Amino acid sequence: MSTAERVVFEHVTKRYPGTGSGNPGAVEDLSLEVPAGKICVLVGPSGCGKTTSLKMVNRLIEPTSGRILIGDTDIARRDVIELRRSIGYVIQQVGLFPHQTVGENVATVPRLLGWDPARQRDRAAELLELVGLDPARYASRYPNALSGGERQRVGVARALAADPPVLLMDEPFGAVDPIVRERLQNELLRLQEHLAKTILFVTHDIDEAIKMGDLVAVMQTGGHLAQFGSPDEILARPASDFVARFVGADRGLKRLALVRIGDVEPAPVATVRIGADAAEARRSAAGDGFPYLLLVDERDRPVEWLRADALPATGSVQAADGMPAAPIFDRRTTFKDALSMLLATDVQAGIVVDDAGAVRGLITTDVIEQRTRTPAP
Amino acid sequence: MIDWAWILDHLDELAWRTLQHLYLTAASVAIGFAIAFGLAVWSIRWRAALRPILGGTGLLYTIPSLALFPLLVPVTGLTDATAIIPLVLYSLLIFVRNFVAGFDAVPAEILEAADGTGYSSRGRFWSVEVPLAIPLIVAGVRLATVSTIALVNISGLLGDRFGGLGFFIFEGIRHSFPTEIFLGGLASIALAVAMDAALQAAQRRLTPWVAQPTAVGSPGSAVRRPVPS
Repeated sequence: MSTAERVVFEHVTKRYPGTGSGNPGAVEDLSLEVPAGKICVLVGPSGCGKTTSLKMVNRLIEPTSGRILIGDTDIARRDVIELRRSIGYVIQQVGLFPHQTVGENVATVPRLLGWDPARQRDRAAELLELVGLDPARYASRYPNALSGGERQRVGVARALAADPPVLLMDEPFGAVDPIVRERLQNELLRLQEHLAKTILFVTHDIDEAIKMGDLVAVMQTGGHLAQFGSPDEILARPASDFVARFVGADRGLKRLALVRIGDVEPAPVATVRIGADAAEARRSAAGDGFPYLLLVDERDRPVEWLRADALPATGSVQAADGMPAAPIFDRRTTFKDALSMLLATDVQAGIVVDDAGAVRGLITTDVIEQRTRTPAP
Repeated sequence: MIDWAWILDHLDELAWRTLQHLYLTAASVAIGFAIAFGLAVWSIRWRAALRPILGGTGLLYTIPSLALFPLLVPVTGLTDATAIIPLVLYSLLIFVRNFVAGFDAVPAEILEAADGTGYSSRGRFWSVEVPLAIPLIVAGVRLATVSTIALVNISGLLGDRFGGLGFFIFEGIRHSFPTEIFLGGLASIALAVAMDAALQAAQRRLTPWVAQPTAVGSPGSAVRRPVPS
């Protein structure tokens, strides 16, 4: 496993002949550093130079001035073919070679690097596995027999084949439907937890940028870098009117997508087990002040809400057609999703459960609203 | 009307005239292919060359074959070249058009992916562009072969040494003997049909990735699901 390398833009400018500044695709004095192992999303309206910036990293486009470093080496000093073989490249239309099988496509760079065929095949199988495609079923197929989502997975596998320290992704999920896109985004984030590659990711979709980026570079028509920072910084403190307009009036809501339930400590909740002593339950509810008790099963999984005053005076507590125990959040639920579930079920608090489904506490709308007002760290 | 006994008496001659026909066709198509491939590669690298190349080969195509074969005799004498040169010239337009169309049909994103993954320009050409242009390249070869097989007959006007199966046609006309005209004509058609079928089969083998039309369902569908009743 190779180590990731940082990518540095130093005063990089790209001008196209015949037109002044502000022509589509131009880049003006771009300086930024993507630390090794981080995802940096370049986002902006069309013509802002984000794709140009990306393609200058693998020298499909050469800058007019300035330099780009990978690690500590100026890429202009490296052999261009060797450079490209050391950088993973994923594009929107995928660009799988239709005359090669899926396995051959994935093994493209190992083949160009002259690995022996058995090692190429093993590597292709390993990568197909990694992106969730069974090599036995997929390796010998041709790309035209795949769905859009499967093709995009193969594209990612091909880009990772030679274990490059840097990955360039140009609107990689732009051509698939929203449900598949969401899934591919989540899979890439899951992969990145293990791979820890330096990834430059281009999109025009601010929501995708916020979701995918450790860092977000907002670019503006004319090729200017409008703001560079963490998603939370950009949403909390847009550097200009342009950035504020680009991230949208709902940026407060968008910030909620950055926080997950697991990031905060839930409020305690009074629970009662099925079959527990009713008199005891009444006493503990009276001490709590909250008029409801959460009924749980023998493994502390939520069953329903019970009104404390509806508990029988004696005997044991049983399920009694109380209010449904909903919504339920786990540690991965974003605040944004939590809020929309709360609004949909018209209650003030959601139940937080752990990975086994056992109750951990409550998250209330107040906690979530609070978050939209706190400044970025 | 057909003198079957005559045909049975001349099977040897039919066989070697067929071989001659194949030889003139193969030599012309091979030379034409090589020249046109060079012209096509040149014109996709340097677009300004495309119009003059298509114009020039188009102009050659308009020369009547009846005139071109005899016109070469003073230059090349009664050699194979006299038959082959016109056949090559006539094949160029078909080849160049199809080759250029074949290379142009390679999608831009495939070329970008090839560059981005680190193919050298020579590697990209031979490993990506040429294979993907095969369907149109073979289409050009089929068209040029069929057209050359028809034109080989005309070379028979240079004399008995040429013409392939066209020899029978010319001799049949000279002797007012319809059997020979039919024999030459039908054999020539059969040869063209057979070659075309062989080339089509070759293309299927060369391009296994091209989805073949199937009787039912989408070609090359990823997963065969049972049809819900």
